[in-house]
Amino acid sequence: MRFWLLDAIEEVVPGERLVAVKNVSYSEEYLQDHFPEFPVLPGVFMLEAATQAAAWLLRLSDPQAPAVIALKEAKNVKYGGFVSPGQSLRIEVSLIKHEDGLAAFKASGTIGEKSSLSGRLVLECYNLADTDPAMADADERLRGYFKRWLPAILKPQLLA
Amino acid sequence: MRWFWVDRFTEYVAGVRATAEKGVSLSDDFIHDHWEGYPVMPNTLIAEGMAQTSGLLVSELYGFQELVVLAKFTKLEFDGLVLPGQQLTYKAQIGHRKEVGAQASVTATVDGRRQAAAEIFFARLQNDSGPESGLPDRLFDPDDLCHWLHITGVFRVGKREDGSPMKPADYGLPVYG
Amino acid sequence: MPAQEEIFAKVQEALVDALGVEEDEVTPEAKLQGDLDAESIDFLDIVFRLEKAFNIKIERGELFPEDILTNTDYVADGKLTDEGFAKLKERMPFANLDAFEDNPVVQNLGKQLTVQDMCNFVEHKLG
Repeated sequence: MRFWLLDAIEEVVPGERLVAVKNVSYSEEYLQDHFPEFPVLPGVFMLEAATQAAAWLLRLSDPQAPAVIALKEAKNVKYGGFVSPGQSLRIEVSLIKHEDGLAAFKASGTIGEKSSLSGRLVLECYNLADTDPAMADADERLRGYFKRWLPAILKPQLLA
Repeated sequence: MRWFWVDRFTEYVAGVRATAEKGVSLSDDFIHDHWEGYPVMPNTLIAEGMAQTSGLLVSELYGFQELVVLAKFTKLEFDGLVLPGQQLTYKAQIGHRKEVGAQASVTATVDGRRQAAAEIFFARLQNDSGPESGLPDRLFDPDDLCHWLHITGVFRVGKREDGSPMKPADYGLPVYG
Repeated sequence: MPAQEEIFAKVQEALVDALGVEEDEVTPEAKLQGDLDAESIDFLDIVFRLEKAFNIKIERGELFPEDILTNTDYVADGKLTDEGFAKLKERMPFANLDAFEDNPVVQNLGKQLTVQDMCNFVEHKLG
């Protein structure tokens, strides 16, 4: 499968917040195992959706953003409700702090009024070339990849 | 993509602790999206590996019969990224337990170096309010569950605290042959 | 029995770890639900940590008597009856229930519980 846990980015305020959605569908293969008698979006995929939303907020806030943006820490990640096929999870992330290559966020996932996910995340941002100059081309490939795929999920009117 | 984030248990002491392995490979299709140009194991899937290792321990506390689900990551920490060709070792330890759920601590290492750590809460849900609760009677068909426990080696290495082996029949699971 | 400062420090640590909040957010006046975003699963987490930190055993409903709040003998129109309130006071001698007594809407009890109430609870358990 593709590892895109967001279907559409709906709102972006650079440096502040981002809202995106993840639709859950029976066509997603992992639902047959999670769980065989109760197909629901795995909790870690809600977390991955929030992580991807936070990473996109950083990339959309700074064209020079580092190539690697990865989950470093998560605290008090709570699951309030299940997300079933046919439902659409609304992910919102807000940036709390950003310094020394670490960005802290508050994240939430909701279905209508009901909370499915809440928590705090810290993402780590760096270039592979920072520690190994030979990796500079990998940094460029990563940047190119994100740039190429962004239009697929960013609403056209946000693609200024 | 299927949802098996532990390849094999190498130790399983019911009610106490478990050790499991997960090999990271370029043949995993999702890894080419995470990321193209620099494929690595997504940290959230390492979190899932830690949750499955500890979740199967917690689920056993209730005879593998109940609705045991991930309720909270109190803490998750990652030290860098895991590359294809590396092998993750998950070590889980059961902590506090109450009738409504249990807590576990898990670490993930690669070649003895710490890669991740987690403190996880599992809730034991009660489907006592009927269909309107939206909850199923069970998460797994006994055949599916038994299959999962067999292919990951739980019944090969699984022991109780007194050293006696765990058997599918003890849990009312199908016995083949 | 440990001094009040020591109890507060340990309660603070338990809340920082269980709720992922910063130390300076956990003041005695901070409301567990309103200010620190504590939900029911967190109370279980907090209870585990308090049991370990103070070497005590906390039974279900001891810190937060859900059974009274859901008992139809004690609740009318979503509010606790006088009898119910008396029962609650008996079960929660550690909590300051003055504000709640003015308008005992069942749903508000949790929202008014503060860090200080939790420290008082521990002190009460140790006493």
